[in-house]
Amino acid sequence: MLGAFANAFRTPDLRRKLLFVLGVVVIFRLGSQIPSPGVHVDNVQTCLNRIEDQGLYTLINLFSGGALLQLSIFALGIMPYITASIILQLLVVVIPRLELLKKEGQSGQAKITQYTRYLTLALAVLQATGIVALARSRQLLQDCDQPLLHDENSTATFLVMVITMTAGTAVIMWLGELITDRGIGNGMSILIFCQVVATFPASLWAVRQSQGWGTFAIVMAIGLALVAAVIFIEQAQRRIPVQYARRMVGRKMFGGSSTYIPLKVNQAGIIPVIFASSLLYLPAMAAQFNATSDSAWVRWINEHFVQGDHPLYMAVYFSLIIFFTYFYVSITFNPKEIADNMKKYGGFIPGIRAGKPTEDYLSYVLSRITLPGALYLGLISLVPLIAFALIGANQNFPFGGTSILIMVGVALDTVKQIESQLQQRNYEGFLR
Amino acid sequence: MTLLFTIVLMVTSALMILLVLLHKGRGGGLSDMFGGGVSTGLGGSSVAERNLDRYTIGIGIIWFASVIALGLLLAYDGQV
Repeated sequence: MLGAFANAFRTPDLRRKLLFVLGVVVIFRLGSQIPSPGVHVDNVQTCLNRIEDQGLYTLINLFSGGALLQLSIFALGIMPYITASIILQLLVVVIPRLELLKKEGQSGQAKITQYTRYLTLALAVLQATGIVALARSRQLLQDCDQPLLHDENSTATFLVMVITMTAGTAVIMWLGELITDRGIGNGMSILIFCQVVATFPASLWAVRQSQGWGTFAIVMAIGLALVAAVIFIEQAQRRIPVQYARRMVGRKMFGGSSTYIPLKVNQAGIIPVIFASSLLYLPAMAAQFNATSDSAWVRWINEHFVQGDHPLYMAVYFSLIIFFTYFYVSITFNPKEIADNMKKYGGFIPGIRAGKPTEDYLSYVLSRITLPGALYLGLISLVPLIAFALIGANQNFPFGGTSILIMVGVALDTVKQIESQLQQRNYEGFLR
Repeated sequence: MTLLFTIVLMVTSALMILLVLLHKGRGGGLSDMFGGGVSTGLGGSSVAERNLDRYTIGIGIIWFASVIALGLLLAYDGQV
């Protein structure tokens, strides 16, 4: 294991990429700590300490790594980009023009990416305005009556903060793209990974302080077991054998090989979890914007959707995850396309005719294998909620389902990419 | 002084947003974000792209510096 690390750093190409990623991450974390101009840092810190363990805030902090509530320059984090991606992903299904673009292949995909970037910045302006307005009227951190800004009435400060946060989002987007381009792994997911991991030690320590060493040990043990279970299922796949017919083209011989199509149990990755949790985050956000009005629906949402341990919340979360798993798998994996490609190159699944029967077979296997995948995603997201409610740890337990899935998913993915780079040079990888 | 840095920050922020949008978006959205997805081909960056990178980094440094400067100015304006 350590030898593999040494090998990774001995390869000049890989070393450059790894160091590049590390550098970008350092910049990213640094920016997450620097407050926007005009923020009264002392007051913010005092208020943060007071409200540490309220449900909604831990959810917000999970995705922004604590940057949002500190009103730092990278306060919005990658949330705008994720939201924009989700919106475009859904729009592709609805709007025919976008669907055409997607079918076009690489150039169309590039155009969709460009739209995502524009939408990201539009969303960033919206969110920044909302957050700064909340901070200005002292509603961002509830039960805290100290001014969060130095000059609450100044329009200039307001504008400066909004434009700084928007520019910060642009910078984050660029950093993510730089990692994808020149580093290793996917930039955006690595940045999310950082934010999730950043709050991790602190919340683990909070468990130790509030519950003592015994609970801490139990939490650690359950956490490790969960990580192992997640890795086990993430790696699971069904291999559908494919036989390619041997054929002559001119004087050359083609094909004749047998391969397989890997169908992962969890084909959708962690996207359903992210979709579901960001959708569920909307009502809580809306309630917070109207916190002062104290109308019936605000109270209802606060009761059912903010704390995260209400049965209704769990049920909605679970069913949303299952829905999005099927939805996302159906978007990304197209049995008809694969069947057509196989037919074109003379491939077939043993025992199944090419063309339509192959397509049917693939979608049959896929829909069956996705069921345990979807259930797994839903359960993993809920198990910590239930287990920790039993132990008596409160909301800010460190091994939340979403964070554990993100951590393991991104880490596995990145390590696999490093591994494939290593194997190009015949070095032994991390994974045996 | 505060006014000067405010203007500098506004201008550099706007430039920063513009420059980042001028970049060709790499890493096609969410689809290849978490697992799966073929890594994009190595299209070597052109001269224009490299110059763009240089400008972005330059503006980025100015932006960062003015954020810190303005933050300090606003924080200690009344007290010093």
